[in-house]
Amino acid sequence: MVNITINDQEYDIEEGKTILEAAQAMGLEIPTLCYHKALSPYGACRLCTVEIELNGRTMYQASCQYLVEEGMNIQTESERVVNGRKKMIELLLARAPEAEDILDLAYKYGVKDTRFLKEFDDVCILCGLCIRVCHDRMGFKAIEFINRGIERKVSLPFEDFHEVCRTCGSCSTYCPTGAKAVQLENLTHHTPRPILSEFDQGLATRPAVYTPFPQAVPKIPVIDRNNCIHFQTGECKICQDVCEPDAINYEQEDEIVEREVGAIVVTTGFDPFDPNRLPQYGYGKYPNVITSLEFERISSASGPTEGEIIFPGVTEIKSAAILHCIGSRDENTNRYCSRLCCMNALKAANLIRDKLPDSHVYEFYIDIRAAGKGYEEYYQKMLRSDIRIIRGKVAEITNIPDLPEDEGRLTVVAEDTLLGAILRVPVDLVILMVGIEPKKDARDLAHILHLPCTEEGFYNEKHPKLAPTETVIEGIHVAGACQFPKDVPDSVAQGESAAAAVLSKIARGEYITEPTKAEIVDDHCSGCRNCIGLCPYLAISFDEEEEIAKIDSALCQGCGVCVASCPSGAIIHRGYTDKQIFAEIEGVLER
Amino acid sequence: MSDIKPADINILRAKGEESLYPDRPKIGISMASCGLAAGAGKILETIEGELKNLDLDWIVTKTGCPGFCQKEPLLYYHAPGKEKIYFGELTEKKAKDLVKELSENTVDRDFATWKIMSDVTIDDKTLFISEETEIEDIPLYQEYDFFKKQHKIALRNCGFIDPQSIEEYIAKGGYAAFQKALKMKPDEVIDFIKKSGLRGRGGGGFPTGLKWELCSKEDSDIKYIICNADEGDPGAYMDRSILEGDPHSIIEGMLIGAYGIGSNEGYIYVRAEYPLAIELLDIAVQQARENGFLGANILNSGFSFDINLAYGAGAFVCGEETALIASIEGRPVEPRIRPPFPSQSGLWEKPTNINNVETWANVPPIILKGHDWYSSLGTETSKGTKVFSLVGKINNTGLVEVPMGITLREIIYDVGGGIIDNKKFKAIQTGGPSGGCLPESHIDLPVDYESLKEAGSIMGSGGMIVVDEDTCIVDLAKFFIDFTRDESCGKCVSCRDGLDACHEILNKITEGKSALEDLDYLEELGQSIVDFSMCGLGTTAPNPVLTTLRYFKDEYIAHIEKKECSAKVCKALITYEIIKDNCVGCQACARLCPENAIKGQKDKVHKINQELCIKCGVCFDTCRYDAILIRSGDK
Repeated sequence: MVNITINDQEYDIEEGKTILEAAQAMGLEIPTLCYHKALSPYGACRLCTVEIELNGRTMYQASCQYLVEEGMNIQTESERVVNGRKKMIELLLARAPEAEDILDLAYKYGVKDTRFLKEFDDVCILCGLCIRVCHDRMGFKAIEFINRGIERKVSLPFEDFHEVCRTCGSCSTYCPTGAKAVQLENLTHHTPRPILSEFDQGLATRPAVYTPFPQAVPKIPVIDRNNCIHFQTGECKICQDVCEPDAINYEQEDEIVEREVGAIVVTTGFDPFDPNRLPQYGYGKYPNVITSLEFERISSASGPTEGEIIFPGVTEIKSAAILHCIGSRDENTNRYCSRLCCMNALKAANLIRDKLPDSHVYEFYIDIRAAGKGYEEYYQKMLRSDIRIIRGKVAEITNIPDLPEDEGRLTVVAEDTLLGAILRVPVDLVILMVGIEPKKDARDLAHILHLPCTEEGFYNEKHPKLAPTETVIEGIHVAGACQFPKDVPDSVAQGESAAAAVLSKIARGEYITEPTKAEIVDDHCSGCRNCIGLCPYLAISFDEEEEIAKIDSALCQGCGVCVASCPSGAIIHRGYTDKQIFAEIEGVLER
Repeated sequence: MSDIKPADINILRAKGEESLYPDRPKIGISMASCGLAAGAGKILETIEGELKNLDLDWIVTKTGCPGFCQKEPLLYYHAPGKEKIYFGELTEKKAKDLVKELSENTVDRDFATWKIMSDVTIDDKTLFISEETEIEDIPLYQEYDFFKKQHKIALRNCGFIDPQSIEEYIAKGGYAAFQKALKMKPDEVIDFIKKSGLRGRGGGGFPTGLKWELCSKEDSDIKYIICNADEGDPGAYMDRSILEGDPHSIIEGMLIGAYGIGSNEGYIYVRAEYPLAIELLDIAVQQARENGFLGANILNSGFSFDINLAYGAGAFVCGEETALIASIEGRPVEPRIRPPFPSQSGLWEKPTNINNVETWANVPPIILKGHDWYSSLGTETSKGTKVFSLVGKINNTGLVEVPMGITLREIIYDVGGGIIDNKKFKAIQTGGPSGGCLPESHIDLPVDYESLKEAGSIMGSGGMIVVDEDTCIVDLAKFFIDFTRDESCGKCVSCRDGLDACHEILNKITEGKSALEDLDYLEELGQSIVDFSMCGLGTTAPNPVLTTLRYFKDEYIAHIEKKECSAKVCKALITYEIIKDNCVGCQACARLCPENAIKGQKDKVHKINQELCIKCGVCFDTCRYDAILIRSGDK
């Protein structure tokens, strides 16, 4: 420990720390632009210079590089330091007059303007952060300073594109001018491959360490191994360095955890319909044809555009079309109704009108399904607004305009079935209300859990009225859209109901069941195991010790398949034994 | 592997003495870069040709520069038993005649510049002494104005020996100091240098002995020592002269340092712009190896040491020791923060001791003649002598080695012979581009590290540029700022962009587009560059501006307020006019004017069209009737 004085306050600081580290640890602010905790200090911006008095000598040193020494008396804001900083800020402003970090400092130190504005476009302040992160942390060494003095700049070897750059993008991430100075496309002919945010429907990018979505439970960041530089090259490890609680562990692996449970609630949700299957709507071809989920992110205040409805290449949204039943109620795709799209479409129309009051919104529907509390009222309200709600399925979206002034816009071709007229509506935005489909792997799970499915792949409940959350497999419940398309209120209701059903069974401690069950007559069972594969409820297992089949009476639903199939007649149906049935027949005949 | 014995050294010494003072007449031509630039190559050819013509069996040898560069091309003639006579400012014709006259003993004495009557080595061995003199009227070397106040220690052999001959170096007492050091314990050697008070001659003035001690105390198997020969100051060539005139003195100095510090490997970092120095160093290192002064188990002492040469690619900042290390390591040259100092972690992160050429050259004489002898020279804090390269508007330009504490006046007027054409002395820039510009009021300032620093300048590596009234002080400051701006490595904002900003303001001043408040801003900016820069380049680069603002503020103000450049240098502030009374209408100026800006009929007074005039000055230089006037402001 060394004893130092910073701004007339004494501190005990660990030896080997720099003055900047010491000051930051003590909560004192020293401005800097070229320092980053994860990188070796470089001392290029000079802003962190402080006045040091040691052994009767006064010196001025960059605090990011100068180590603390016993008896140092440090002033971080002495008059000469502040004067110098003002000059440095002015010189930095001359290079990057619009960089926010520098403007903030200029404001703080009262620097209003720079008198040395540079004529060149390059806004690089030559802080070297990009170079250091590329060399020290990424291990690529793709960029370096070239030339000296005023001619100095960040460049590539031989000032030419080359293969070393892996387009990891760390250089632009670290750039204090807001990535204006280092741009990947100027560095390499490798195409930058930004990591697209799944939550933002690929409309925004995310880092390789990220929290999947804002309300994620648990709200803990995860590492995307496929994109993390550390998992590609073994370098980087910056997140580990900056994580104060030391929570980053690169050795962690996925593991399979086995749990014994009394009940399972299946809530695997749905997949949105893939509109690429309907090429006539131009999804993926025109950037302004989007799905309802994408619109959800774009219109969200926490979304990639902060709620502004903007698209690359579209200057103004004068009108928008909302297409219902994309992948629903369609012989070619899904015959069923996805149930929630109608209301979602009306909401979207409302949002567009709200954000873009001068725009026109067209809804193309087959029938409006507004069955829900307050839904019909909302629909009626929308009917009264100036949103054009047109009954008719859209045939095609095309970029061939009818009028020359609509060049660059999209045209919606549809039939208004109420008027019996063909419509061609020029629009700037098309929202496809994609339907709900079972998850792609729904059948795999059904196979594992032995759940029966509809022909589309939705899980079947045991009884639509009497047991809407139960399945034929005792102890397995379903809730939400995996059972059939549902909106949020319905999903929540079914989920709660499933949870309550499970809890009521568990809390009781005992299990009441129908008395009609199959039973194995141990002496007769030959151990052929035919019955085991036949039982649809996973109720029969094989006892290796006794070499006979055993039936779990809690799981057995008394269907009788095993009874009929047993070649040795070793399985009896309690209450329906041959003897009992024959006795019954005899009784009837006696009358 | 070396198995040379002291006896063998005696043989070498005898050979060297024979070669220095042969039994035949000998001509030594100064063939360092300064001599070559003045035409020494042609002189050598001429002399060799003439000797052949006259069938004279004389010896011709190439030496380094004796220091008086003004007199180049320069040679000496020495006949056995006679005095050594120097002849300067030779031309091919003069050289041809000289050989003939020398052979016939009819030398024109006006030709000769000075003579040397004896030669005593640093280990007090008399090599020759001449009782009689052939030519009476030539001044003695030690009484000659230029040399009178000089005391040559670092330059002791420059111009006297053949730099390509290790024997001649040994004959002059070379490698005796190293042998003496080998008999001492390493820490005694360091103590010896500490007591001598020798300070680093590269600029910083850090006590050399202390530097060695710090490095020697570091615990490491491998230690390096480096000779910094990256001399880059404009107009300064002290180190080059030693490298070209006496390379073995550096090798011997490094050997002694390496022995004291405990290093087995050394580097000489020499700039590639010194091809002759590199060639001669290469030969010297090779000779030292062949004769067992470099290699393993030197002189059977168990001490091993070898030297590598590393070449700089012309960056001024490589003179900064951490940048120099980066350059040797093959990294981009950027100084880094100290601590850690090179003595703790230097070349390849091993303890490293760096001294410059002149410092190393001073080491052998100190060991040989004693620290008391050395510390008796100079001032209380600055011991010994210092080599300066005295250039500019001065009569005697050249390299001068003077004891510390000598005044600027003595250097300028006694050694330098005063200002050219008896013009008025204006200022002296000491310490190269990072130094300061001192005015006439400081002319009696004793030259030592502390006094110069106090006056706002630095000792630096020893550049001294004298300027007279015809030099614009703003223009001078701009020249130095431009130099350091170009040479800044570009790492620190303060130095890179700060110096560029200074350049912009100075430009505005010389163009008459500035305002008075710019001066305060310039001063503040200069101070901030000093405070906020990391290495020696940035922290000293504003010195020319700061000192000129301190001592010549009036001249700045005149530029701004009166738009007047009293030295008539700043083109934007001057106009060329024709003095009607003097103009005879000869049309000489009109014919030469590149812009056809001068009009006038024959025998009639001419006129200059100010709009066309580009102020090239051709008319002024051409006019034989003093009819062209340069006007600036009211003057």
